[in-house]
Amino acid sequence: MRNAELMVGAFYNPHLGAELARAEGIDHLAMADPPAAGDPWWPKIHERYTLLLHDYLGQLSEPLDERSIQRARALAKLYRSPWVAEHFQCLHTEDGRYTLNYVFPPLYTEEFLERFVRNANALKARLDQPLVMENIPRFFDVKASQMPEPVWLRRFFEATETGFLLDLPHVWLEAHYRGLEPRAWLAEFPLEHVVELHVAGVEQDDDLKGPWIAPAEPSDEMLEFTAHAAALCPQAKAVTFDAFSPSLSADVLFRSVERIRRAL
Amino acid sequence: MSDRALQDRVIRALADAPYRASTEWRRRGLADPERVERYARFLARHFYYERIVHFFKYSRALARVTGRRPEAVLNQPGFDALLPTVVLGSRASAQAVAALVVDHVAGSETRIPCLADLLRYEEAMMVVEAGPRVWREDPEQADEKRGRVRGQAEKVEGTVLLELAYDLPAVLPSLLQPQTSVPECPPRRTQLLVARSQHGRVAVARGTAAIAAVLELADGKRTLAELAEGAGIEVAEVQETLQGLVDLGAVRFSTGS
Repeated sequence: MRNAELMVGAFYNPHLGAELARAEGIDHLAMADPPAAGDPWWPKIHERYTLLLHDYLGQLSEPLDERSIQRARALAKLYRSPWVAEHFQCLHTEDGRYTLNYVFPPLYTEEFLERFVRNANALKARLDQPLVMENIPRFFDVKASQMPEPVWLRRFFEATETGFLLDLPHVWLEAHYRGLEPRAWLAEFPLEHVVELHVAGVEQDDDLKGPWIAPAEPSDEMLEFTAHAAALCPQAKAVTFDAFSPSLSADVLFRSVERIRRAL
Repeated sequence: MSDRALQDRVIRALADAPYRASTEWRRRGLADPERVERYARFLARHFYYERIVHFFKYSRALARVTGRRPEAVLNQPGFDALLPTVVLGSRASAQAVAALVVDHVAGSETRIPCLADLLRYEEAMMVVEAGPRVWREDPEQADEKRGRVRGQAEKVEGTVLLELAYDLPAVLPSLLQPQTSVPECPPRRTQLLVARSQHGRVAVARGTAAIAAVLELADGKRTLAELAEGAGIEVAEVQETLQGLVDLGAVRFSTGS
C-alpha cells in the first residue's frame, strides 16, 4: 500500500461545476474538454485546482498538424497542466470518412509502433510539459496484431521516454474478456513508467453483454486492484476517478474520490 | 496492404453496418464477427448519445416539463431497427436518428408554442454536423487555403437556412436555466443559418436577405459580379457577406482546374 503523497482527483464535469467549486478533498481535476465560454464556475475551478490536460489532441498514428499542436500548447498553458495526456488510439480512418468517436486501440504491430514512436517524439518535442500516454482496451482481438499489448507498450515507453497513464479498468476489462486474472495481466505492463492512474466503475452493458466502463462508483474489487497497482508504480503522482458524463451525479463523484483515497 | 490500411478496414467495419455485413469484410476473417457486432452496437449507441445530448440540449432541459428526454430514443425499438443500416457520421444516419428524437419529444402532451421550431433547429444542428471532416491539415493545403482569395463561391453541402416562426435565439439561453416554467418565445419570423467548418465545428448565425440570396446563387460557377447582380446588392456587400459565410463554413471557394 502507498500512499499519502499521491494526488487524488476526478474529471471536471461542467454540470457539477457549482459543487466542484466548493468541494474539499479533491486534489486535481482532469480536463476532457476546454471550458465553455459561459461556464460561471470556470474561474473558481481554474484558481483553486491543479488541472490536467486530458483532451482529444489527435491520434498519434499520424503526425499532429500544426493547428492541433498549437491547441495542445495553449490548453496546457491555460491549465498550467503538469503533464499532457493522450491515448493509444486510432479511431478514425486516414481519409476522415469514418470515425468511431470513441477511443480505439491501434493494431499492435511493428508498423504502428514505429508510427506512434515517431509521432509521440515529435509531439513531445513541441510541448513544454511531459507527455503521458493512456492504454486503451480492446473488446475483440484482431488477427493482424503481432505482439501482446504490454510488450508493444513497453517498447513504446522505452523508445520515447514518455510517461504511462495507466487506466486500471481498461486492464481489468481486458483481463475479464481474455479470461485472465487481473493482477497477473497487470504484472505484464511496464509499471515503472506510470505517472498517473485512472480508476472508474464498470457496469453491465446490454450491447456488449458484459461489463464496460461506466460513470459509476468503483467496486471494492476495483479499489483493491487500485491499491495493489499503485504499490507497483514507484513514479506515480496522481490517481484520478475517470468519469466524465452528463449523467454523473455529484454524490457518485465525491464518494468515489473519498473511497479511492481511503483505499490507497 | 499496410497495417494502417488494415486498421481502416476494422474502423470501417465498426462504423458502417452494411460494410460489416458484406462478404468483403466477412471473408477477411480478421475478428470474431459476434464480438465485432456487439462492439459496433455499443459504439453506435455511444456515438448518438453524445450527439443527442449535445444538439438537443434545449429539449433535454425542457424534459422537466415535457417529460420527454431526447436520449430515451436510444433504448427504444426504433433505434434498434436502424442499427443494421447505420453508418456512424453519415448524414443519412444523422437524419434518421434525429427524426426519432423529434417524434419522441414532439409527442409530449405539454403545449409549448415554439417546440416545433426548437426541434427543427436542433435537428438541423445534428444533421449539419454529420459528414466527413478534416482531422489533420496537410501543411501545403493549409497554405493554399490561406492564400485562396480568388475563385468562385460555392455553398458547402449540408449548409441549412432555417425559416422559423419564432425568434428562438431570444430565449435559448434561458431554456437552460433551472426554472419550472417555459420562457415565452417571441413569435417573429426568423432565419437561422446552420453551417459546419471542415473540422466539424457547427456554427449558427441569424440570416439576412443578403445571406439568403448569396447562398442560393453560390454554385461554384458565378463570379462576384454575377452574384451581386443576381442578388441585387453591391459587390462590396457580396464580398462582406461571403467572408462571413466562409468563416462559418457555409461557403468555400472552388479553385477550378
